[in-house]
Amino acid sequence: MNRVTPMLMRIFVGLALCFMAANGYAQQNAQPSARLQLENLDKLSEKASHFTEVTLDGPMLEMAAKFIAMDDDPSDADMIAIIKNLKGIYIKTFEFDASNQYSQADVEAIRKQLAVPGWSRIVTDIDKRTGEKNEIYLLKSGDRVDGVTILVAEARELTVVNIVGAVPIDKIAKLQGQFIHDGKHGHKNKMDSGKKDKESSDEKK
Amino acid sequence: MHFSEDDLRAALKRKDPGEGFTQRVMARVEQAKAEGKIKPVNGKANRSLFAWWKLRPAWTFAVVALLLLGFAWGGYQYSEYRHQQIAKRERQQLEELKKQQEEAERARDQAILALQIARSKLNHVLEQAQMPADLDKIIRRQRL
Repeated sequence: MNRVTPMLMRIFVGLALCFMAANGYAQQNAQPSARLQLENLDKLSEKASHFTEVTLDGPMLEMAAKFIAMDDDPSDADMIAIIKNLKGIYIKTFEFDASNQYSQADVEAIRKQLAVPGWSRIVTDIDKRTGEKNEIYLLKSGDRVDGVTILVAEARELTVVNIVGAVPIDKIAKLQGQFIHDGKHGHKNKMDSGKKDKESSDEKK
Repeated sequence: MHFSEDDLRAALKRKDPGEGFTQRVMARVEQAKAEGKIKPVNGKANRSLFAWWKLRPAWTFAVVALLLLGFAWGGYQYSEYRHQQIAKRERQQLEELKKQQEEAERARDQAILALQIARSKLNHVLEQAQMPADLDKIIRRQRL
């Protein structure tokens, strides 16, 4: 009995150490999810005067890319190239009639998800006069960009743009006027103003 | 017992039945009928499975015509049913296709809207931060 107990103890301690090491290794190597949990913002839709939500997962994006490609319009090539490499686009935009309609805790819940290793903030813009804070985050895996999050927290607006997949962020920024399809796709000059974006989306809602 | 040729010839030789043979045979037949020994020729028992064949030609034609009409009506009904089935299937496929197209249109509109918002917000943040739109440099810097 006296011989068996120390042996069992050793085995137990050894197993515990192995488990801890494996857990640590897994945590170190685990890639954070590129998709953010934005459900905590849903409650703000009641206060918002304009609310836009876009949820596009892989199959929907694939379908959209195929449908856009059916038009055989060379001007859509950039858009198709962008969409093809994406795994998901999740957007929530809230526009309020008055200030302070959302709390810092709402934004912090998003920032907390972006504070994990893998995500890095590439742009921060703080306006202390208005208390606005706009940020752009990148999720990188080596040289590859696996996700982008744009967080716009202004006095009367809160926007979270979460794009998952190989995001050609520079191409998205340069998509100047390429969406202007007069009647072609059933929208008119959608890129002209953000206000129109929201209205069109609200109409859909 | 041996029979000679002459015996056979004598036995098989034609013999005159004599006068009144027919009357005698008929009288015997009538007597047998009266005693019930002979069954009537046109009795029910003689009706066979193919008795319908002995119907008048007009009835036969009527039966054949009815059968043909029945087949024709049945064929028409079946063809109508088949047409309805095909039309129903085509309608369902069309509806499914329409639904898929609507879904694809919705996906396209959503994708365009998403990219619009992404582009708009991205440029807004870059403008606010007074940063160049060339994000490649920023990303590359991040990689180093």
